[in-house]
Amino acid sequence: MERLPLFGHRILDLTTGWSGAYGTRLLADMGAEVIKVEALNDGDSLRASMGRSDSAGAMFNHVNRNKYGCGLDLGWPEGRGLFLRLVALSDVVVEDFGAPVAAELGLSYEAFRSARADAILVSLSTQGTGVTHDDPVAGVAAAAAVGLALWHRRRTGEGQKVEVAQWETMVSLMGEYVLGHSMNGRPPEPIGNRHSFMAPHGSYRCAGDDQRVAIAVKDDQQFAALCRVMGRPELAAEPRFADVVSRYHNQDELDGIVEEWTRQHSPEAVTESLQAVGVAAAPVLNAPALFDDPHLRARGFWESVSHPEAGTWDLDGVPWRLSRSPAHIRLPAPRFGEHNEYVLRGLLGLSEGDVRELVEAGIVGRPST
Amino acid sequence: MTSLSVLRVLDLSEGVAGAFCAKLLAGFGADVIKIERPGAGDPLRHHGPFPDDVPHGEKSALFLYLNTGKRSITLDIAKRSGALLFRRLAEGAEVVVESFRPGYLADLGLGYRSLSRIKPRLVMTSVTPFGQNGPYAGYRATNLTTSAAGGRMAVAGEPDRGPLETGGYQAEYLAGLHAFAATAVVAFSADATEVGQHIDVAAMECLATMLEPQVSSWAYEKRDIGRRVDNESGTTFLRTVQKALEAPDPAHSFFQELDHPVAGRFTYPGPPFRAGAIPWQAARAPLLGEHNEQVYCGELGLSREELTALFASGVV
Repeated sequence: MERLPLFGHRILDLTTGWSGAYGTRLLADMGAEVIKVEALNDGDSLRASMGRSDSAGAMFNHVNRNKYGCGLDLGWPEGRGLFLRLVALSDVVVEDFGAPVAAELGLSYEAFRSARADAILVSLSTQGTGVTHDDPVAGVAAAAAVGLALWHRRRTGEGQKVEVAQWETMVSLMGEYVLGHSMNGRPPEPIGNRHSFMAPHGSYRCAGDDQRVAIAVKDDQQFAALCRVMGRPELAAEPRFADVVSRYHNQDELDGIVEEWTRQHSPEAVTESLQAVGVAAAPVLNAPALFDDPHLRARGFWESVSHPEAGTWDLDGVPWRLSRSPAHIRLPAPRFGEHNEYVLRGLLGLSEGDVRELVEAGIVGRPST
Repeated sequence: MTSLSVLRVLDLSEGVAGAFCAKLLAGFGADVIKIERPGAGDPLRHHGPFPDDVPHGEKSALFLYLNTGKRSITLDIAKRSGALLFRRLAEGAEVVVESFRPGYLADLGLGYRSLSRIKPRLVMTSVTPFGQNGPYAGYRATNLTTSAAGGRMAVAGEPDRGPLETGGYQAEYLAGLHAFAATAVVAFSADATEVGQHIDVAAMECLATMLEPQVSSWAYEKRDIGRRVDNESGTTFLRTVQKALEAPDPAHSFFQELDHPVAGRFTYPGPPFRAGAIPWQAARAPLLGEHNEQVYCGELGLSREELTALFASGVV
């Protein structure tokens, strides 16, 4: 087995929101040594958002696995000085506190560069144009940016600053709407689960409580196959459903017919019978169903993780698989300040007395015991 | 030109996810060659919207957007001569992006194992709805059914109504964005270690991973939060699109105009992030087979006669 792709690379994680934490989690999964640096007063906002103190928050533990934790208050000059010493020993800094806070703290890219000439800084901004979105998509972009910036530094010796604006990342996932508007001047319309040319196309109620299956029929051949499976082969020849255009116009009626059939079966049974004849179908899975899903189980998607305070539970693994260096969950999320010793004494070479003084001065946060 | 210009990428993908991954690599400067089937080319060329709603293989908004900055060659890899040519191209490439049904490339002798023998540092990124193995690996899928299987549909929409697809090709784009991040990280590592890897990206898993609030609540407390009233993803998606279209900020210069010789001049979104030292390369999508001569004759060293023979036999 090869070493993980980012083995030997240190990343300082100053993020406090979901996007940033998800991005650095992807990098931690890839083998980077991600050190989560948390302020003393409120720690990470995700720790707080779960309404429990310290590291008991489910969400926090999910997005911070494979990371190390250090409690260091950047509000104090001594805290910032120690942080800049860490920057000198690290490859990348990722932050989401925004330009005003960065300026106030004196933690600009220039400050990082003075600590390390080829520093890489990734700044996330989840605000922007007023559309806030509870989605970690900018974090994926940030992880990609780190890969490219490391490539660039390896090739040229140069560091750089990368800016990730959540709004821009999101719009890049809908480019055809922007182009389409530019072509024809029409804004997109809500079409629900309907499709511009596929019909039937939607989610259909199945037997059981709140069970649904999604079905998408692309062409005549697939529609004929669906009709055969439903036991209604004659439908495929009826003028109201015979071709793509008539099915599109008569899809309300068609949806009723399909649902009449799906209501008699489980989502899994409908999926299997349609997939057997080459029609796209899948159960509509919710979170509990995802945990039981045979495909995800067979692929080893869920990994069991044990946390000293939170116990043992299943956690989604690495969202992509590598053939030579399969990545796994190596560490549970850090408790507050759990790795102070490693960071302050191991990396920065402070003495036990130095650390005690920093704790007493309220600059370093101790793990709660 | 950027520092990524030395990164040659072969884009064999035919869906949104793989095309988006390769588009982003091209945008940051990689030399991306899109390999299209002779004749009709990439099936996405047939997907709208089109200018004035008139379908045309060189005017699909979806294709034009997803293929900016790439070169296009035609090649039928299912023919033996085509597969041999592809192996020659792979010798000179760092990355292959593909989205075929699992096992298809291996059947043609073009799977990761055989390509890595001729080019050990090659990175192959496979981005598919369900991944390379497991019970659903061979399943057919569309953006709708992938959204359903990945749990994204169940949490979108209003609580008292049915599950909702979140609009556009979000499931595929998100898989493509993850594939891009994985490729960037692994290509960097392969550049240092001279050893490549096969990356298996499953859209279903990318979506499930992004359901952290629901997944962590269930894992931890056996509580199903289900659809969230305050965040209807479907509506949010439309709001975001509308906002983007109505109030583009010219000072911020995110949107860019690109001219295309057949389709015309239109507005495109810019990069998903701004990298200070790796400037975004805005360039139009290629015409079908536009770079056949440049790549086959200029770079692979085929003669005009050889190219003509391959053309006549339907390989190119």
